[in-house]
Amino acid sequence: MAAASTSAVDPAKKMIMLTTSDNIDIKVEREVAERSILIKNLLEDLGSEGDEPIPIPNVNEAVMKKVLEWCEQHRKDPPATQDDDSDSRKKSTDIDEWDQKFMQVDQEMLFEIILAANYLDIKALLDVGCKTVANMIKGKSPDEIRKTFNIQNDFTPEEEDQIRRENEWAEDR
Amino acid sequence: LGELLNLCDSQLLSFVSDFVSPRLKKDPFMVLPTEICLRILECVEDPTTLARSSQVSRKWRELVTDDMAWKSLCEKFSYRTLSKDAQAKQNELPGVWTPRDNGEPDFRHQWQLSGLPVGFENTRAMSLDRAEKERQDRRPGFTTYKSHFKQRYMVETAWRNGGKFDTRRLSPDQGVVTSLHLTQKYIVVALDNAKIHVFDTDGNNQKTLQGHVMGVWAMVPWGDLLVSGGCDRDVRVWNLATALPIYTLRGHTSTVRCIKMSDATTAISGSRDTTLRIWDLKKGVCKHVLVGHQASVRCLEIHGDLVVSGSYDTTARIWSISEGRCLRTLTGHFSQIYAIAFDGKKIATGSLDTSVRIWDPTDGRCMAVLQGHTSLVGQLQLKVDILVTGGSDGSVRVWSLTDFQAIHRLAAHDNSVTSLQFDNTRIVSGGSDGRVKVWDLKKGTLVRELGSPSEAVWRVVFEEEKAVIMASRGGKTIMEIWSFSPPPEDE
Repeated sequence: MAAASTSAVDPAKKMIMLTTSDNIDIKVEREVAERSILIKNLLEDLGSEGDEPIPIPNVNEAVMKKVLEWCEQHRKDPPATQDDDSDSRKKSTDIDEWDQKFMQVDQEMLFEIILAANYLDIKALLDVGCKTVANMIKGKSPDEIRKTFNIQNDFTPEEEDQIRRENEWAEDR
Repeated sequence: LGELLNLCDSQLLSFVSDFVSPRLKKDPFMVLPTEICLRILECVEDPTTLARSSQVSRKWRELVTDDMAWKSLCEKFSYRTLSKDAQAKQNELPGVWTPRDNGEPDFRHQWQLSGLPVGFENTRAMSLDRAEKERQDRRPGFTTYKSHFKQRYMVETAWRNGGKFDTRRLSPDQGVVTSLHLTQKYIVVALDNAKIHVFDTDGNNQKTLQGHVMGVWAMVPWGDLLVSGGCDRDVRVWNLATALPIYTLRGHTSTVRCIKMSDATTAISGSRDTTLRIWDLKKGVCKHVLVGHQASVRCLEIHGDLVVSGSYDTTARIWSISEGRCLRTLTGHFSQIYAIAFDGKKIATGSLDTSVRIWDPTDGRCMAVLQGHTSLVGQLQLKVDILVTGGSDGSVRVWSLTDFQAIHRLAAHDNSVTSLQFDNTRIVSGGSDGRVKVWDLKKGTLVRELGSPSEAVWRVVFEEEKAVIMASRGGKTIMEIWSFSPPPEDE
């Protein structure tokens, strides 16, 4: 960014600064950061200067870097509108290849990304995260699901039996 | 740590792995806020996974019990939503008049209702000769999307590979079934031996309407009312609840071939005498005689104030019911017209010339000629730009009327298709090869055959959870009533 000092710089390419919860400053192009509706609105509220670092108190450095990696990849995606939110979710659990690879992280990171996407208001990333978790459940038996997420079965045997019978209708096809 | 692990043998490593891996795992529904948990569950696309999820733990069960995920699943499966379900209930056919003591019909109740748009919807459903709006809601309304989904899903499953059926023999006499209707309250069967048999929707409590002296060839039910016609040239009006006649309407000079109703007090009949007649059922008189066809009127369909008729003179005609006059003549077929469908926007005609023509009712223009059948096209149903046709060539075809292309070509029967009906998910066809087949409307694949083959299938009708088959088995005319309703909740 040698041309950063001239006034001819594209405002989308202008670098802004984010401060994460663990007090790390991350430099990022404005267009990339604006995938986050939260950051976009903050920048608009602060005026076009935006030279001040923007505090992101709910996201740590590791997660923020990961989120920004996704934003960089998807920087040219058409902006999400309010209405197509529900539509895109209805579509299916299909996730594009790059996103699938991107989501191959440990569960803790996956859930952190989902939380961050929710907080930063990045609907498309939130959807990818939710779909990823849904795909981890898909087709598994209750016990396999418990193993996948290390969940304790807290039903009594009687309860378990009753719930199983209640749900038998969904099994036979 | 890396160096330490390098020193471990595989047994130790697997211990480490067993020790470490659960710690890398986390219950997402404990970590994430409820709204995101529900969002995840809404991404689940199949009921099996969702039902299993509810068996994982108390927390999971609680989240699945929240109806959002089931609502979203209802949408994915295109099951009606709860609010529409409630509307459908209100849309049920209002009670039709019953004769008063002096035998004169009391129309007041119907008059009140017929002004409502609801009444109009029913009018259309009736004129389309389909039982869709008349679905039975014997069960109490469902309060959750889960129970709604479960209900619909179990019905779909039963359609695929379940269902129960009862067989009834038509007694005492036998005959060829010429017409079959399944309504909210009745199953009505007309025969070529002058009889009309009326049953409840379970096929019990048979009553017989006696009066016609020759074969009955057309009939239409409307609530507790039935209008019928046949070889004896009379149009008869019956009370289905009492099985007693109300009127005998005279005027046609040859066999009555088709009858439809446009509202609770107006019936329209088409005859081999080349005319159509519009009957005022309140007064029991003929309001208009529609003259113009040069040969037998074989089929008719009503929408709003328009009636369209198909004739052996190779033309179809559009008439105004209120004015009693011909608005347009649709010419183009090279041979007799046997079937007609009309949804208000498009008219479809099926002909002995093996083609199907689509017409614009506003200007009478032929919009398309659908080619493909190799024999008479005698069965047609049209709904929201989907047309399904059945022919004497045994094939069933699904057409898109947005681009006039064939979507599916089904080699359905070894002989004529005698019956055809479709709804949003399935087509049911019956053939003179004795088979009844259920098809997936969207995929165009065979779902199943209903029951074992008979000698010939005369007629098949179905609604959401029920199908009625009239067939010939062992030389006898039989009625098979299929139910796809799930067993009642055991609570």
